[in-house]
Amino acid sequence: MSPNSREILAVSELPPEGAKLSRIWDWCVVAAVALLFMGAIHLHVMLTVGDWDMFIDWKDRQFWVLVTPVSMLMIPAALQAVFWHYFRLPIGMTLGAVLLLIATWITRYVGWHLWGYFPFTMGVPATMIAGALACDAILLIVRSSLLTSTFGGFVFALLFYPSNWASLAPYFIPIEHQGMVASVADMIGYVFPRSGTPEYIRMIERGTLRTYEGTTVWISSFFAGVICIFMHMLWWRIGLAFSTQRFVDSSKRFKKFVGLA
Amino acid sequence: MAAIVRAWKLVLSMIVLGALAAEALPVFAHGERAQEPYLRTRTAHWYDVTWSADKLSVNQEIVVTGKFRLYSDWPDAVQLPETVFVSNATPGPVFARVDSYLNGVPARQSFRDLEVGRDYEYKMVLRARIPGRYHVHPMIAIKGSGPLVGPGRWINVGGTADDFNYSLTAISGEKIDDLETWGVSAALTWHSIWLVIAAAWILWWVRRPLLIPRYLALKKEREDLLTTDTDIKLGIVVLVVAVGLAFYGYNWAQSKYPRTVPLQAGTMYTPPLPVQSPVVKIRFQEAKYDVPGRSMRMVMDVTNISDKPLRLGEFATASIRFVNHQLPAAKANVAANYPAELVARNGLGISDDSEIKPGETKQIAIDATDAAWEIERLTSFLTDVDSKVGGLLFFFDPEGRRHIAEVGGPILPVFKKS
Amino acid sequence: MSTASVAIPVPRESSGADRKAGHYVRFNLFAFGVIVMVAMFGAFRMYQQVFAWEYGLDATAPEFETYWMTLVKIEIPVLFGLGFVCWGYLWLTRDRNMSALTPKVELQRYFSFTLWLVAYTFAIYFIGSFFAEGDGVWHQTVLRDTPFTPSHNVLFYACIPTYIFFSVGGFVYAITRLPAFSRGISVAHVLAVLGPVLILPNLGFNEWGHAYWLTEEIFSHPLHWGFVVLGWNALALPGVALQMIQRMVPLFHEVFGDMPAKPAD
Repeated sequence: MSPNSREILAVSELPPEGAKLSRIWDWCVVAAVALLFMGAIHLHVMLTVGDWDMFIDWKDRQFWVLVTPVSMLMIPAALQAVFWHYFRLPIGMTLGAVLLLIATWITRYVGWHLWGYFPFTMGVPATMIAGALACDAILLIVRSSLLTSTFGGFVFALLFYPSNWASLAPYFIPIEHQGMVASVADMIGYVFPRSGTPEYIRMIERGTLRTYEGTTVWISSFFAGVICIFMHMLWWRIGLAFSTQRFVDSSKRFKKFVGLA
Repeated sequence: MAAIVRAWKLVLSMIVLGALAAEALPVFAHGERAQEPYLRTRTAHWYDVTWSADKLSVNQEIVVTGKFRLYSDWPDAVQLPETVFVSNATPGPVFARVDSYLNGVPARQSFRDLEVGRDYEYKMVLRARIPGRYHVHPMIAIKGSGPLVGPGRWINVGGTADDFNYSLTAISGEKIDDLETWGVSAALTWHSIWLVIAAAWILWWVRRPLLIPRYLALKKEREDLLTTDTDIKLGIVVLVVAVGLAFYGYNWAQSKYPRTVPLQAGTMYTPPLPVQSPVVKIRFQEAKYDVPGRSMRMVMDVTNISDKPLRLGEFATASIRFVNHQLPAAKANVAANYPAELVARNGLGISDDSEIKPGETKQIAIDATDAAWEIERLTSFLTDVDSKVGGLLFFFDPEGRRHIAEVGGPILPVFKKS
Repeated sequence: MSTASVAIPVPRESSGADRKAGHYVRFNLFAFGVIVMVAMFGAFRMYQQVFAWEYGLDATAPEFETYWMTLVKIEIPVLFGLGFVCWGYLWLTRDRNMSALTPKVELQRYFSFTLWLVAYTFAIYFIGSFFAEGDGVWHQTVLRDTPFTPSHNVLFYACIPTYIFFSVGGFVYAITRLPAFSRGISVAHVLAVLGPVLILPNLGFNEWGHAYWLTEEIFSHPLHWGFVVLGWNALALPGVALQMIQRMVPLFHEVFGDMPAKPAD
């Protein structure tokens, strides 16, 4: 045990057996947090932006870059608030990002690949780990929720596209198919048919007007950054509100049932 | 995996369902029967459907062709076919789609502005991917309403799934060995790198006394112990690494794949097939469905407006074909390998099967009796809010030329044998 | 999980077993619960693998009735039945004299309560992630027909009763055995239990939309957002953990140290 750890324990004034039990409790909570938020964050993300994440042929420049980080930020921001506010642990966002990526890959394999016969190329997910790490680090450095929202929320969204482009660029090289241009991603969506997911259902860019340097993707990233600033502020507070420690007095009759009256 | 599935099938069949498993093996459809009857009798009517093979090996191709008429009395509950995607219905991507066309126009993208009352011709080339026995249907999906499925035929696929390959060469020169695996290892590598960094960051904190001691220390205003100078320095390093690695990865990908294109999203357009000059005028009179008799009876006035005598050869609805067995041209119109379960065994009963002379108006009652009404779950139109039926009539002239007309209107149930 | 016991005051100075962690943290029942869940969810997933494509595509087929509706008819009564038995047992065996509860037993119960919550989160993972995205695999791949599908029959009618078993079980455990949680009802705990429980009635919204709008399967469709909002209640569990800390800290001192315990609330 490091001197710092020893000092923390000393300051906590827990008796040695209590410290030991509290460490066991730590691990129980770690397990619960991992399982709970693998489920909760994944459910939230798949039902708000899941189509963009599940399918390679939804990862466009206008909406994917915009809506995915906004949705992915919400619950991790709430976790970050709880971990920081009560424990000064700057890990909430990163934890959320890691849990989501692990949960996603599990279902891409067990669900899409083994059950649905889809190749992995169809469902390469996006990850928010880069932005989450940066946001946690900013919180640790600036130690303010307002500044973390302002800078961390913005950086979170801004890093989403470049950090994912490394994995996804191979899916956007051009192919000729039936005399027309298609990206590899379009081809994957076309070649491996989903009867319930027709082509037109994709909510993707339908064309742009004037752009900076011919691409809209960075504009979408900046816009996502703006939303993420406010989303971070909101969800930080939602996280704290949900973790209320309030008890409402139970009735006398109930207390009688359990011998407390 | 296949071996595991087989083993499980055996175990589960025995343990969970016992003898029932063996009993229920023969017929499985693709869910088209579960589609409401109005979707199948009053939207797309599929005809001339052909499948180029019924048995093939992995990597071999099958061509599905045919036509559909978008029925004029389009149901209110279904969006008009303003945006349509031509597709195929199979149980998952067991076939890979190679090419598809609508009226000869490439159909990778969706089509806009299809017209009701008009016909379209499609073609799709599918490459066998996963061995098994599958029902393969042509299908169109209508924006806002979803899929409308055509007739299905059983196709056997042999070989092994591992042999499947779909390679491509990019315009930019890259050779894609297999569309199933392209780019996956790079993605996994990048994700692993990020996961390792993130896990290290989390472990840095989790290895120390975690919740209760930190909570108490914070209460005692000993924040200095909880986030030390070393922690903050590490935080700065993590911030730099996160931003740096994100942009390094971006630049790496940009230099490795300098030419990329966005997702392609435009809609296509094709005019419908030319209209056949009409040869008959149909005036619908009434339709009844005899529930115990599994029989649909329809009465109509038919006026021959052509200069040739005509005979009624077929009534087709919901991909079920009621064919006039007395008319050779109509029988010849049913391809030998057309799915037998979709051709009514009793054929089409016609009250007056004599020729309708040019200019003549004749009242005809047709009797479409077959268990298929029940098997195909088409009788629930009796519980619809819009109880109507529709279909196509195929007339033939003495030269054997086919003329298509629409027929349909309200339908009444008959619950007792008359 | 430990059952209720009549609280008999024990002497503070007891050496040996009751100073060891194993005296307070008992994993046996918890491990049993997790093993049962692993076996059950694994079996469900295998069942889907084997019978979904073959018998699960057409809800009007007799095979569907045999293989898929039978499953629903078994799992709903069995899982909810087990739930009612368990909750009833916990209520009937409640601590009827909680004011005489000893700190040692109370601490022991806090760990049992913790394990109830961990088991709950284990079930949450399977519905929130594992089978939920499996639902996407199914409905975005095949034609939607009825509310009963090989995916829904596991996701909705097996996973939901399972997590309700643990969430309500944990709640009944807490209010019948822990003074702080019975003297007052924890708002966070109510949220953490009730939110996910309400996902069950929210199926009405989901299926109503799918029945009448005939929409294609879009996972991010607002029709699904009822699940999302109810899922946010997971964020209330940290509140429960904080409430536990408030009481566990004095208990550590009471049991192992010389500091007198604060009142239970």
